[in-house]
Amino acid sequence: MSVRRTSAVGTVVLYAGLTIAAIIVLFPFFWMVVTAFKQPGQAFSAEILPSRPTLENFSRVLSEFGFGRYFANSVIVATTAALFATMFATCAGYVFAKKQFFMKDKLFTFLLISLMIPGMMYVVPQFAIINKFGWMDTYRAMIIPHLANVFGLFLMRQYMMTIPNELLDAARIDGAGEWQVFLNVMIPLSIPIIATLFLLTFQFHWNNFLWQLIVANVDRLYTVPVGLAMFKSAHEELYTLKMAGSCISVLPIAVLFFFAQRYFIEGMTMGAVKE
Amino acid sequence: MRIPETGGWRARLAWPWALSSRARENLTAYGFLAPFLIVFAVFLVYPVFYSLYLALHQVPSDSYDVFSGLQFVGLRNFAELFTDVKFWWSVLMTMYYAALIIPSGIAVSLALALLLNNRLRGVAIYRSAFFMPYVLDMLVIGIVWTLIYSPHIGILVRVFEAVGITAFSEKGFLGMSTTAMPSVVLANVLKGAGFGMILYLSAIQNISRSLYEAAEIDGATPWRRFTAITLPLVKPITFFMVVIGTIGALNAFVEVYAMTSGGPSVDVGGRALGATWVTGYHIFDTFYNQWRLGYAAAMSYVLLALTMIVTLVNRRFLGERD
Repeated sequence: MSVRRTSAVGTVVLYAGLTIAAIIVLFPFFWMVVTAFKQPGQAFSAEILPSRPTLENFSRVLSEFGFGRYFANSVIVATTAALFATMFATCAGYVFAKKQFFMKDKLFTFLLISLMIPGMMYVVPQFAIINKFGWMDTYRAMIIPHLANVFGLFLMRQYMMTIPNELLDAARIDGAGEWQVFLNVMIPLSIPIIATLFLLTFQFHWNNFLWQLIVANVDRLYTVPVGLAMFKSAHEELYTLKMAGSCISVLPIAVLFFFAQRYFIEGMTMGAVKE
Repeated sequence: MRIPETGGWRARLAWPWALSSRARENLTAYGFLAPFLIVFAVFLVYPVFYSLYLALHQVPSDSYDVFSGLQFVGLRNFAELFTDVKFWWSVLMTMYYAALIIPSGIAVSLALALLLNNRLRGVAIYRSAFFMPYVLDMLVIGIVWTLIYSPHIGILVRVFEAVGITAFSEKGFLGMSTTAMPSVVLANVLKGAGFGMILYLSAIQNISRSLYEAAEIDGATPWRRFTAITLPLVKPITFFMVVIGTIGALNAFVEVYAMTSGGPSVDVGGRALGATWVTGYHIFDTFYNQWRLGYAAAMSYVLLALTMIVTLVNRRFLGERD
């Protein structure tokens, strides 16, 4: 550890530096919230805190501009997708961590290589496939194409490899079948990583703007980010409403982050750099 | 890696259907893998090849249904790419974007990590505050910044006016071709710095304290200790940041969509091109606004090639370390 002890003056300087940095990094969010509470038409007033704060912007975007519906859509899409993506990655991660099977190493390398393909590459062909399936403007179009989370599989595998084989064998000796071993031994021991992956996939799908923009072209299926983008181009000047919509859009992830930041930070940086 | 088979389970082989143990293991394993592999094959493997098919075709201009009348055009899409000024401009803008965002992203991440690397009360709160924007939606952050960057009455323009600088007042930061790209980059750096910060912080905390003590005894200044000890020892993180920064630049889209839509317009030899018109945005525009699926697919192959080159160059670098 290279953590240094600091003098009193040094401490003050460090706190000042940290605080200034925090103000700069968080300023956009502060400004978003402040503007969302300003009177309509007062988005550009110079006041730092609104003199007459109002909830009107929130009630208007939710009722008049359909953000209530968009929010429900986002919840449906992100929750369903996170649930299935986590399940799929857990099952797949388990066999890569604990089983021998035909073509295992080749398959693993293949999965590794697929991680290098840029996301932008998929937009056109995935859209074409969804079109052929006749899935345009459905929830499943928004959800299913992103359920195979290769990074999630690696997280799972890495974690599950640390679970001792003896625990699995003990269950097998007691007569547990494959499915029971997985369900009653593996899953309970992997709860931290499962929770992490659920949060990360939920966050990914909540923010999966480009894809949702492409496959959902009807108002009733818009998620919050898509609704926000449409609102932005239709009502460029209604800044207080736009900021209220923005608040609604980031709130769930901000709340999740507040309560589960350890999972977010560890999950996102885990495996980023090979030791 | 191979996990040695442990005994015990062979005894249980009394299944009604008599498969060999090996076949059964395989069956079980692929049973567990099936949901993942099916989605992977249909939506992540097949598209790469289907994209090549699309790249060799074009949607006839008079066809409303983009799929009924795909025409085979061979390599014409790729040939067109080579003379497409707008595409190469987008590659240039992507390089410009990368050249701005990679060093500034590294500098800010490292600075935050150094600030956090001190025994202070409440450091964890600052760490969370710096990381939080990383998990939030780029689209929303971009929209908020358009408000901050607004001309005439935007908060940042006013701050500059307060100190007597009015150069940005008329068009705003995103409306001027000189400041548009740096402004997009700034918004993105502040959003993403928390990620690099965590990586740098853990690397710095892994550096042995005795190195710094020895340097201090030798009379090395703090700056010298930073350049001679810290920087070289966090080099793997810096490499990693360069690689993900490059890949991020090749895929940059949402930030541009949210803030500038590729603009503002710049005049280059009589052509109107976009000051933030990066390749990711160009592909989106070709596909979503112009409905040229085949051409967009061809471009995405160039993008893939560029990404592969970056990855291979990186592997060369990392390989040297081991």
